Amino acid sequence: MLTLRKPLAFLKKDFLMEVSYRFSFVLQFASIFFSVVMFYFVAKLVGDAPSVQSSLSEYGGNYFSFVLIGIAFSNFLSVGLGSFSTNIRSEQMIGTLEAMLVTPTRLSNIVLSSSQWSFAFTSLRVGVYLLIGGLFFGVSFSGAAILPALLALILTVVAFSSLGIISASFIMVFKRGDPIAFALSTSSTLLGGVYYPISILPDWLQGLSYLFPITYSLRAIRLSLLQGAGFSEVGGDLVSLVIFSLITLPISLVCFRYAVSRAKRDGSLAYY
Amino acid sequence: MAEVVLETHNLTKEFIRRKGLSSPRNPFERTLFAAVKNINLKVQSGEIFGLLGPNGAGKTTLTKMLCTLILPSSGSATVCGYDLARQQGKVKSKIALISSEERSFYWRLTGRQNLDFFAALHGLSKEVANQRIEEVLEVVDMTAAADRRFQEYSTGMKQRMGLARGLLADPELFFMDEPTKGLDPIATWQLHEFIRNKLAAAGKTVIVATHHLAEAEQICDRVGIMYGGEMRTSGPVKDLTGDASLADFFRDLVEQTMVESTET
Repeated sequence: MLTLRKPLAFLKKDFLMEVSYRFSFVLQFASIFFSVVMFYFVAKLVGDAPSVQSSLSEYGGNYFSFVLIGIAFSNFLSVGLGSFSTNIRSEQMIGTLEAMLVTPTRLSNIVLSSSQWSFAFTSLRVGVYLLIGGLFFGVSFSGAAILPALLALILTVVAFSSLGIISASFIMVFKRGDPIAFALSTSSTLLGGVYYPISILPDWLQGLSYLFPITYSLRAIRLSLLQGAGFSEVGGDLVSLVIFSLITLPISLVCFRYAVSRAKRDGSLAYY
Repeated sequence: MAEVVLETHNLTKEFIRRKGLSSPRNPFERTLFAAVKNINLKVQSGEIFGLLGPNGAGKTTLTKMLCTLILPSSGSATVCGYDLARQQGKVKSKIALISSEERSFYWRLTGRQNLDFFAALHGLSKEVANQRIEEVLEVVDMTAAADRRFQEYSTGMKQRMGLARGLLADPELFFMDEPTKGLDPIATWQLHEFIRNKLAAAGKTVIVATHHLAEAEQICDRVGIMYGGEMRTSGPVKDLTGDASLADFFRDLVEQTMVESTET
């Protein structure tokens, strides 16, 4: 249990901090509801068009179900890309980072553990998205294949987190103006199939879509949850996510190590 | 002879200063600024050692190096028997840093919740942490206020929580960086009593970085005076000052150093 003590301590600390702002905590769930309602009515407007149903035939033809999964699971993109750097910067600004660094806990553990709550809370938010969609707006997950979707989600988190750690390394050295998270976040949202299928993009943009892990992630999750696709049907997407992680994870670790060493040499670890 | 708890050999820290836009002709020109130069220091177990110097003398930089927060540029040090460069984790398990920085706590959490979190970071199990938290709260007389949010504490109470956090892992060596900054005279006196009667009496070693000479005179066994990043002199207060006060000695030393700097 000692090995889980530190991660659980971070989780508890962040949970207590989050719920101490009660109004903000409740407001986040209200915003989810309004977001779902908004896309429900957008889907009512455009969802019956033959071109839309044709573009979404792979996913069952229903735009609302398609976009619900997109907006829900793209939260993991934001968290994966931004949470590491955001949390480090937050600890720097609060002033607690130095106090943590003087303890025997390694900085890598601090960075990883600091993001647990973000991922846990995002998982809760995603659950709320799907629950609202299912309970109030008729989205059916009756034939969902949970295990492939779960594996796709785990691989997604690893892939995005690697990019997030590179982003955090940038923040640790330069303190602000991280270009990585911004570029990846906007490009992924534009090209990754969050709000519309990538099949409607021009051919040359479709090619670019395949550079982003969210493209594979959303396709696998949508096919699993909406069409009950098993491992064999989404295996290609899962392999792509594994390859992406195998490339970015080592790079992220190297970047992080360099950033920590550079910040310690500069004496700027706790500065923002 | 008492064990040597801290020993440094020519410990140096140089920072790169870039001119940037303040020098449009050479914005990328870099100069090296030595914040700490060739510090050779020995502190023995159970000592209260005062690190004195004006603002900018290098006290905080030296303290941060010895706490592993900043990498030295050159030189070496051993802290509680561990090499500062190669055994940082072991060093951290033996030390505590207590500063006047109120912002090093989570203000939305209670004192107890803060201590519980940092106890976990020190590797204390839940059971040991719970016991230790009660012990340290009692030592710093914060038991009654432990379940109030940190943001509700007075400055003195926040400083006492800093002490409590420092005591959690029962370290051998305490680094205190301007610990009485912002404290009223009573709180200052209480802190001095705590350092003498609770820490030093228990055999702990304390290094206090301060520019309050009266404070150093009151509580320190030995002092080291830093100026311009260098250790100008060190030793027992009375051996250094003779019949003069530490303030007079310090002023004379600084004036002498400034004259020497002008001549060179």
